[in-house]
Order: sequence, then C-alpha cells, then structure tokens
Amino acid sequence: MDLEAQFTRTADHGGQQHQLWKRFKKQKVLHVFVGLGMIFLLIFSYTPMFGILMAFKDYSISNGIKGIFTSEWVGLKYFDEFIHDYQFATIVRNTLVLSLLKVIFAFPAPILLAILLNEVKNMAFKRFVQTISYLPHFISWVVVVGVSYAFLSADVGMVNRALVETGLIDKPLNILTSPNYFWGLAVGSAIWKEMGWWTIIFLAAITGINPSLYEAAEMDGAGRLARIRYITLPGIRGTIVVVLVLTIGSILGGGLVGSNFEQAYLYGNSINNPTSEIVQTYAFKVGLSDGRFSYAAAIDLIQSVISVILIFSSNFIAKRVSGSSLF
Amino acid sequence: MLKSQRQKDVIFDSFIYIMLFILMLIMLYPFYYVFIASFNKGSDTLLGGIYLWPRNITLENYKIFLEDPKWYRAFLVTVARTISGTALGLLLTSLVAYALSHRDLLFSKTYFTVIIFAMYFSGGLIPYYVVLRSIGLLNSFAVYIVPSMLNTFFLLIAISFFREIPGELKESAHIDGAGELKIFFRIILPVSTPVLATMALFMGVGQWNSWLDSAYFVQSENLRTLTFRMMEVINKSNTPLDSIAVANSASASAGVTSFSLQVTAMVISIVPIICVYPFLQKYFVHGIMLGSVKG
Repeated sequence: MDLEAQFTRTADHGGQQHQLWKRFKKQKVLHVFVGLGMIFLLIFSYTPMFGILMAFKDYSISNGIKGIFTSEWVGLKYFDEFIHDYQFATIVRNTLVLSLLKVIFAFPAPILLAILLNEVKNMAFKRFVQTISYLPHFISWVVVVGVSYAFLSADVGMVNRALVETGLIDKPLNILTSPNYFWGLAVGSAIWKEMGWWTIIFLAAITGINPSLYEAAEMDGAGRLARIRYITLPGIRGTIVVVLVLTIGSILGGGLVGSNFEQAYLYGNSINNPTSEIVQTYAFKVGLSDGRFSYAAAIDLIQSVISVILIFSSNFIAKRVSGSSLF
Repeated sequence: MLKSQRQKDVIFDSFIYIMLFILMLIMLYPFYYVFIASFNKGSDTLLGGIYLWPRNITLENYKIFLEDPKWYRAFLVTVARTISGTALGLLLTSLVAYALSHRDLLFSKTYFTVIIFAMYFSGGLIPYYVVLRSIGLLNSFAVYIVPSMLNTFFLLIAISFFREIPGELKESAHIDGAGELKIFFRIILPVSTPVLATMALFMGVGQWNSWLDSAYFVQSENLRTLTFRMMEVINKSNTPLDSIAVANSASASAGVTSFSLQVTAMVISIVPIICVYPFLQKYFVHGIMLGSVKG
C-alpha cells in the first residue's frame, strides 16, 4: 500500500516509554480529533464490513446489529440459491453485456474528442467546446434521465414527435420502455454525460507531448492525419493504457463512466426489465424491497469480491505499465 | 504540391469544426430545450412542435411549483441538506485532516491503515442499511448529512495541503499559548481557502445531486429531496398516459402538467450547478487527476 507509506513517512523518533507518554499527552487534543474520525469509520465503514457475515447466516432485520453475530450459520445456502435463481442467467448476462458495451464504446469516446480538440487552433473555440462538454458531469443522473424522457418518451418525447411529424417513422419508438433499446440508451447517455470529463485527462496527456516532434514530422511532409497517427497517439499511449486498465478494474460498475446501478435503477421499468435488471439492482430489490437481507448480502458479496480482485489485479498491471502505483 | 496540402488542411479543419459544432449542439440543446419547455404552457408543450422558442410563454409552471407543497418542500430539504451537509462535512474532514497532518503524531501509521483500508473495502449496501437502521438514522434528516461527514478521499487531499503550510505559523501560535482548536480555526483554516473551496464545491454538488439516500433510507414524505421527486415523476411517467394527466385540479386551469412541472424542477436543479460551474472549473482539473488516482 504505497499510499499509506506516502503519508506516514516520518522521522524516526526513538525514545523511551515515558518520552512517548509525554509526547502523547502533548498531542492529546490531536488524538481526540483523529478519534472522532476513527469512531466515524468504525460506525459507517467497519461495522458494515462485519455485516457481510449475514450472507452466511439466517439474518433477520428485527434483531438489529446484534443479529449479525447471534443468528444461525447457514454456510453457502444463499449463494447456492442465487446460482439457482431463475433470473440468475439473465441478470449476470445483463451486467456483463452492459459493462462490456461501456468499455467498447465509452472508453474510446474521450480519446477521440481529445484528439479533435487538439487539432483546433482557435483557443477560444477550443476552450468553449471543452467547457460545454463536461457540464453534464456535474448534473445528477436523475436530471439526465429526465432529459432523456423529455426527448425520447413515446408520448411527450420531442425527438419521437419530430420523427413522426416528418413522416420518418409511423409510430413513436418505445425507446424508454422496450428491452431492445435499454443497452443503447444506457451506453449513449453515459457517453453524453461523462465523455467531456474524461477528455480532460487525455488532453492533458497530449499537452505533454514535445512540440518539436510535430515540427519535425511536418518538415518530413507528414500530413495532419499522419501526425495524429504517428505522434499524438503514441504520445498518449501510456495514459490510454493506464486509463484502460483502471476501466477494466471497475468494469462491473460501468468502467470509466460508471453508473451501471444508477442507470439500471432509473431507466429500468417493468417492461425493459429483461435487459435492464443487473446484479446490483436485483440485490437492492430482494434486500430492501422484499426484506431478504441475507440473500441480498450474498448477491452483493459475489459482485464485491470479483470487483476487488479486478481492482487489485488491474492496479498491479498499471503499476507494471506506468512504473508507479495508481493508488 | 504545397497548394494541395493547404486544400487538404482546409478540408480537415472544416471536418473538425463541423464535428465539434454538432457535438456542442448535442451537449447544449437538451439543456436549452428543458429550459424553454419550463417557460411554456404545459398543455401546449404536449402538442409538440416546440424547438427553438417557447410558443405560449408563461411563468405558471414556476408559480405552481412554488405553491405545490410537495415540490416546494423538496426544494427546501435539498437546500438545507446541501448547506448543512457541506458545512459539517467540511468541518469534520478538515479537523481530522489537521490532526493527521502532524508528521510527529503518534500511531499515525495505524490511523492511516484504518483510513486507507476503509477506502478500499466496503460492506455493501445491505449491511450499511442495517447499521443505519440500528443507530436510528433511517427516516431522519440526519441520514443525509451524518454518514457523509467524513470524506476519506478529501481527507487525504486536505492532509497533503495542510502539510505544505509552514510550521513556523503553528509554532509561534503555540508559544503564544494557543490551543489546537484555536490554531485550527484561526491559523490553519484561513490560509487553506483553495483546498476548502475545492472540498466545499464537490461536497456541495454531491449533496445537491444525491437521490440514492432519499430513495433507500427515507420514507417520510416530508424528507424527500428534489432529485427524488423528479425520479418519482419519471417512474410514474413510464406507465403510459400518466404524463398527460395534470398535476392537480388547481393547476389544470393554468395548463400545468406533470411533465411541465418536471422540466421546471429540472431547471431549478440545474441552475445552481451552472452558477457554481465557473468555480468548479477552476478547481476540477486538479480534482480529476486525484479522482483518477482514487480509481
């Protein structure tokens, strides 16, 4: 854990017991401050971690926190139940497909935009486009879904109406309420919301490329496309690899653009459910709506374990590739 | 040869400008459309055909929004949680960061291990819910602000920042007999505005946009947030025909529909973000670099 080392690199204070005690007494107010934070983490981070035990027990919410420890062990009963759940195959497929589609389509989008922006000579225009492009990052998913509704819904959706009026389609497309459109909708809206934000990092990488490389290539007669291909892209390869590795590490949450849960929850409805139900929303439903806490905790735990493995192995790879740890 | 190269360049540039122009339209137009729809008579909007300018300009949507106790209340709750959540989050996070910024602090290795472990691992939603329930935070206003008071990500950023503050400042205060709390408030915080502003902006936007907690942990109608109310309308609208139903009989005469109230709520939700956007921008290039470190 390099991060830890970075913060605790302090001078080595040798000393005897009473000296330590003297130091502690001098610092006691500071320890009270840190103590507040530690109590906080104990309640809101560490107690829930122990709560994972309920995935292996017959936990009932009426027993509160104590029940996590006192209820009866059932081993892997709930994991087994999940694997045999009639929805298992569907929601695992949905989770994987949505995540993969986001890596395939949402990952290259900010790279493309960064390259396009880099070719713009007019600085004012460049800055303006960039400013507009990351505005949606700061808007709530609820509002983004509301915007999609205003544009795409079958009854009031502006796009649908315009298409019908111009005679391009006979009847409105049920984009928001059809299993056929959910994946496209989710990937498209995620790109719309997060593309500009991630462009910042790639544009910063492009800025770091030595300008003399471009000048030399121009002298050698390389056109604009050739310069993009042979200088810009190789110049940001390191950044691309690192961001890709991170994306794969967080793939089950939606990768770079994230928000698998928000989208599946907000865009999901009873009609598009066959493609929109993912592991996280399913765990949420069986847990908080149906009150099956142990079962939901087991489902959640499976995804968490896979995610943690992915994050640590991708961090390891990133460390190898970039020479420095990302964490 | 040279001329054809220049011609190629012109074609290339036009292609780029056209692409970026289209992209800008795709980014901006949705906001613009929502904006004009909120100023158009609700029943008229449902007829369609509004693209560039409101056809039947009215302020009724905003009037009904403010008169509707549900929406108005949600707005107040959202404002309250944003202000108190940001203030308390800023206070606890920077207080803990101040203590941990002392390089000679005893047990600091243990403290950091505890913090960083908590950043990597979480118990997941279900056990978290059980904890909130047991300590009585469910269905209370406090559930919006208390659990997010210590932000581990900003904690590390603040520690790095506080460590850059020259030690002489603190030492001279110590000699004058000032206590740690006084040093924190009188000396450390005033020289830390850049990091405090960054934290406040990001925490504030997070609070303002948050809807998950209102959906998971609260049942009381009095505690719903603006984003939750919008979500409710969207969910209902997916049941066909509901969107055309008017919000209530009083607003029927004004031509206000649940759709027009929804776009109005969206504008009200977006405007404060656009107002702080220039300030966010000033800080967030730094933020995304650290964000990517967080992973």
